[in-house]
Amino acid sequence: MATMDPLMTPLGQMLLEEITPVVMLLSTPSVEKASLKNGLSFLQTLTPFCSFNNIDVPVRTASDQPYRLHKFKLRLFYASDVRRPDLQVAKEQLKQVITEAGEKEFSESGSDLPEINHELSSSSEYQNTPSLFRFLNKELVRVASFSDHEAFDHPVICLLAVSSKDEQPINKFVDFFNTNKLPSLLNDGSMDPKISKHYLLVHDNQDGPADSASKILTEMRNTFGTSDCSLLCINSSLDAPIKHQDNPWASYITDASPTPSQDLGCFLNIDDINEIKDLLQNLSSKHIIPNMEQKIRILNQQVSATRKGFKNQIKNLWWRKGKEDGADSLNGPTYNFNSIESQIRLLGDYAFMLRDYELALSNYRLISTDYKIDKAWKRYAGVQEMMGLTYFILDQSRKEAEYCMENAFNTYLKLGSLGQLNATRCGLWWIEMLKARDQYKEAATVYFRICGEDILHSAVMLEQASYCYLLSRPSMLRKYGFHLVLSGEQYKKCDQIKHAIRTYRSALSVFRGTSWSYINDHVHFHIGQWYAFLGMYDVAVKHMTEILACSHQSKTTQELFLGDFLQIVEKTGRTFEVTKLQLPVINISTLRVIFEDNRTFASSSATLLKSVKHLITKDFTWLVGTMDHANTREGLWHSLEEEMLPSFSAAKTNWLELQSKLILKKHSQNVCVAGEAVKVTIEFRNPLQISIPISNVTLVCKCSSSTEVRSNENESSMEKNNDVDHFMVSEVNFLIGGGETTMIELSVTPREEGTLEILGVRWKLSGTIVGFYNFELDHPKKNIIKRRKTKPLPNEKFKFVVIKSIPKLQGSIHPLPEKAYAGDLRQLVLELRNPSVFPVKNLKMKISHPRFVIIGKQEYMNSDFPGCLRKKTDSLQSDKDANSNIMSDTVFLFPEGTSVQGETPFLWPLWFRAAVPGDISLYMSIYYEMGDVSSVIKYRTLRLHYNVQVLPSLDVSFQISPFRLRLEEFLVRLDVVNKTSSESFRVCQLSSVGHQWEISLVQAPDTIFPSQSLMAGQAISCFFTLKKSRSFSTLENDMPTMPVRSDVRLVPQSSDDLVYDINSTPLINFHHYERLQQEVSFEGDLNTVDFVLISRPFKSNDNPGFSNPSFVMSHHACHFSTASTGPISWLVDGPQIFHHDFSASFCEISMKMHIHNSSGATAFVRIDTFNSAGNVGHMNSVNVVQSATTDSQAGWHDITPVNEHKVTSNAVETQPGKALSLESASSYIWSGSSSTNLHIDAMSSAEIPLQISVFSPGTFDLSNYVLNWKLPSNGQGDSDETRQHSGKCQGYKYYLTVLQST
Amino acid sequence: MIVCVAVVGHQNNPLFIQSFTEADDALKLHHIVHCSLDVVDERVNNPKKSGPMLNETFLGLLYPIENYKVYGYLTNTKVKFILVTTDLDVKDADVRNFFRRFHAAYVDAVSNPFHVPGKKITSRTFAERVSTIVKSFGFSSAG
Repeated sequence: MATMDPLMTPLGQMLLEEITPVVMLLSTPSVEKASLKNGLSFLQTLTPFCSFNNIDVPVRTASDQPYRLHKFKLRLFYASDVRRPDLQVAKEQLKQVITEAGEKEFSESGSDLPEINHELSSSSEYQNTPSLFRFLNKELVRVASFSDHEAFDHPVICLLAVSSKDEQPINKFVDFFNTNKLPSLLNDGSMDPKISKHYLLVHDNQDGPADSASKILTEMRNTFGTSDCSLLCINSSLDAPIKHQDNPWASYITDASPTPSQDLGCFLNIDDINEIKDLLQNLSSKHIIPNMEQKIRILNQQVSATRKGFKNQIKNLWWRKGKEDGADSLNGPTYNFNSIESQIRLLGDYAFMLRDYELALSNYRLISTDYKIDKAWKRYAGVQEMMGLTYFILDQSRKEAEYCMENAFNTYLKLGSLGQLNATRCGLWWIEMLKARDQYKEAATVYFRICGEDILHSAVMLEQASYCYLLSRPSMLRKYGFHLVLSGEQYKKCDQIKHAIRTYRSALSVFRGTSWSYINDHVHFHIGQWYAFLGMYDVAVKHMTEILACSHQSKTTQELFLGDFLQIVEKTGRTFEVTKLQLPVINISTLRVIFEDNRTFASSSATLLKSVKHLITKDFTWLVGTMDHANTREGLWHSLEEEMLPSFSAAKTNWLELQSKLILKKHSQNVCVAGEAVKVTIEFRNPLQISIPISNVTLVCKCSSSTEVRSNENESSMEKNNDVDHFMVSEVNFLIGGGETTMIELSVTPREEGTLEILGVRWKLSGTIVGFYNFELDHPKKNIIKRRKTKPLPNEKFKFVVIKSIPKLQGSIHPLPEKAYAGDLRQLVLELRNPSVFPVKNLKMKISHPRFVIIGKQEYMNSDFPGCLRKKTDSLQSDKDANSNIMSDTVFLFPEGTSVQGETPFLWPLWFRAAVPGDISLYMSIYYEMGDVSSVIKYRTLRLHYNVQVLPSLDVSFQISPFRLRLEEFLVRLDVVNKTSSESFRVCQLSSVGHQWEISLVQAPDTIFPSQSLMAGQAISCFFTLKKSRSFSTLENDMPTMPVRSDVRLVPQSSDDLVYDINSTPLINFHHYERLQQEVSFEGDLNTVDFVLISRPFKSNDNPGFSNPSFVMSHHACHFSTASTGPISWLVDGPQIFHHDFSASFCEISMKMHIHNSSGATAFVRIDTFNSAGNVGHMNSVNVVQSATTDSQAGWHDITPVNEHKVTSNAVETQPGKALSLESASSYIWSGSSSTNLHIDAMSSAEIPLQISVFSPGTFDLSNYVLNWKLPSNGQGDSDETRQHSGKCQGYKYYLTVLQST
Repeated sequence: MIVCVAVVGHQNNPLFIQSFTEADDALKLHHIVHCSLDVVDERVNNPKKSGPMLNETFLGLLYPIENYKVYGYLTNTKVKFILVTTDLDVKDADVRNFFRRFHAAYVDAVSNPFHVPGKKITSRTFAERVSTIVKSFGFSSAG
């Protein structure tokens, strides 16, 4: 910008146009009459030819160096107009212009909102600002013209025009100078009344040839001098009006012409125009410019003489000082035209107009200080203003220029109303100056300062300020928006609503999309209101809909917004359809489409129904759960059903055979069945604090029947269900309270085969406005259950192929509890119904958690529960049953010929057991085939899904440790903790599973459960002996002669508590799954034992969900290994107390060691005995080779034969004296071999003799031996790597007391 | 008197605006705060001097508007604090002190694990604390 010629800037251009010599025009009425024939006043006729782009006149002002003037312009004014313009008129005119511009802009501005274009905004400032401003600013500058404090409006020459038709034209010329006709400014001394004159005779060619005119001209020349007179002939086109291609007048006629229809200048032909041009060129170059030059030279000489030079300056200063006290009015002293101050000013202005800016500036400077000293503030401001402009044009000192402008502006403002207009003009020039230097931001603040009191004026200025912020670099959009809003507010105040709307709409582009919702709401709301005021309700509604979801606003504001909105909608007189009504908010992520093709769903889980206020159909098929998991769930179902469904190749033959077209479509489209509802659930949320009524909520669907190709849409029509023959939609009405969220279920039921497409949802707000939400537009999360791996296109999600009605099974399981305690065992009934007339066949069923639910047998249907679990005294065939009934995860086939149809439900027993605590989702799928073969869908599956909450009940743990005194006998400790908070249980029975184990109580049941029940939170331990049954080896023999006591009753005998048969059907089956579940790595270990603990609730509380009191609970604990210390167990058998007479000899005691190999392979065993007791004792304490694994259990120490030798062992261990005697010397020695090797076959025992020699009486610990065992590494029984193949065991403590016999 | 304080997120989204006037001029204050962001941007993009201003969070007087003075503060996470006051002779030190305390309150508020970064600050404790700070600002400047 620095390189740009200041004159080429908008300000430069403006100055070249506005600060130009004034020509005062005086004309007689007949001149005007002649020119009015063209629809123009005489002034207007001349005006277009007053500006010269290249006048090329040499000019020589004060300096001797001439220069050439190119661009030149004259301003023509009638003498009557040479005065201060009437402010009121000007204001009215401006207002009218603004109003008109408002109308024009408004009609142009269409409905789409403007976008801020940053790229374009820099290129040209006027490009996107309304053209109105240019004109307005020009007018505002003109309003300040003809002020007495500046001289550039002083007429330079007076053009006197008299018509040849006038009588006595010479007199007329003279008459013009009748002083009372002249402008007051000339008379009151503000302007020099001695203006050079030019006499113009105007001849209308239509009045006849110009001969008479020439005569008059001669006369004139004689009177006024030859050079100052000229003749102008106009209206040469005598006959036909001329149409000018580029009408030169058109752009100059701004206000409404009195005869607008007439072509301007229609009688002026090319000769006339040329003559006018010549006239004005002559006038300028021969008269005006030389006149001004001369004047400048004269004035300059005067000024030099009086004011230049040191002497003059001192004199002046002194003189001014003296004058100071006298004139102290607001405007300073009055200066008439011939005062030296006015002369200097005139000199400066003339020099400025002739573009001798240096000269102008020096004079302005000169006079500026004078005015300042004189306190002639207005004149001072005027001079400062001109100085600023001169500095600008000279492009010398930007700072100076700005300082002068600011100084001038402030000075004008200080003058108050007197300087208001000048302040505005000065401000505008200052702004232009800033703009020319790209200081838009500063320009904006100046606009802000010239706002003034007039509202309309300030509105315009604020709007201009806003554009400045937009144009500033970087653009300050927020300020742009803010000033637009301010401006709009002002426009609104003076009823310029269209302008107000325009500014607000522009402001929207700033605020839209930001989170400054208060501002956004304000803007939208007012635009809406104003559009409504103008009667443009459609647009108003559009803006009002933007602010409906104003959750951040106060309740009153929300009511105001909604109230106004509804009022506007009402005014439109019709129901509105809005594609994206924000009220209520639709939570699209909750959108779920539920439809049934091959898969049908059933669930009685009523908890989900609660959120749905309106249940449309009595059909109870539902998809449960959140659809976010739809895909994982579908995978789950898929894997569940995999085995049941016919293979793909079978489907392919169908595809080849049957209705290939339909199935082709099925690849990309979903299938639904005619007559079966497709459901959509979606969440509506009310963001407001006030409740809003919502009515007529329906799905918008498109349906086309396969028989007729036409497609019916109810999308745009207001009648609902006009497709009543194709489909049926449900309708919901509800009221959402403030802040509430409501889940709505909608359904559409196709009635005919064909295609169905769900387009969106539609609702009515407050009964007046219809909202429409198109599902397709924003792609929801993939919420639809998909049938195939191939993903359907997004828009295919809502498309369905409707096929012929086929049977659909309805199923339920009752009474499946919602809550159960762990271990709870129940009998359930599966109920299937088929309301259709077609039968279904080939039923299959599969259950996801066989641990929880197993399928029973038909004959149990009517059996009494839990009676059927009781041990039957007469039969032993139950175990055979059970074994055959245990199946792996295979499909359950309903018996051949099972067909479900008609009224009677099909019932089938199921067993339920709450296996583990937690929330369990049970999935059951029933497969069935259509009896009717012609159907597209050959089979369907009914999916049942239940959620069961399993609460912890009894915590059962077992601890097994071997008896040291007897082989193959074990002590079992049972710990039962009641984990419930309120329930009491009666522990009824403990059973070991299988025949090889025999279990018996150590204590009496009464001592274990004194209250016969286990209270909430109570823990109890009891002990059992577990014994390996000798009949184990003869298990293959069908009938054991004597039934093994594998069940222990823990409660006293009573009538209702019979022994439960854990081999009865559901128990053994569940036990099977428990075994599978609790499986550990010791597979094939023959020494494991399983326990089943049966308990019952002691008393039935009124706890809902546990309504059935007669239930049985079973707890299964499996795979307890008895062989915890290795496969080898041994027992030292010998006397405990021995009497011997040591006086006779030392004592020899023989003992036996029984070794049992409980592994499935032959074991190699070596026993080493040591004689150094102390050594062994040390080893015992430090190097525990194979201490029993159970040692780590708290409170469960391996103190050998606790039961029998408690006292003795305690005594020994707590008496250090005795212990000392034990360790002090080896008072016994092992006799016989110190090492014995032997092989023990699988599952067999061996016996080896041992002998010790004792030399003195005492108590001896015979534990100083080590038993090594080894199993073949690739033994047939234990392929497991983790299993040990060899081991080394320290001998058990065995205390032998030898007494001296007496 | 402080008439308004605001927290504006780094995407120039309002996080917290609280006015302390009786009059219903929330919209005006919103506008003022919103406009001040332009100035903040300007300050940030054309730092006057390097050196002591390099790590300065206090942006100083943003602009005077009508009867208000608007002060700004920019945290390291580009969160802006705006203060609108009617006091015409405010000491910079007072404002600095205010912002320092305000910043501390803000940090505490956003350290709440339940606060979602970039979302509006809804903490009542924060609002109360801000009110206290604002009140004490009035005192310290008066006394």
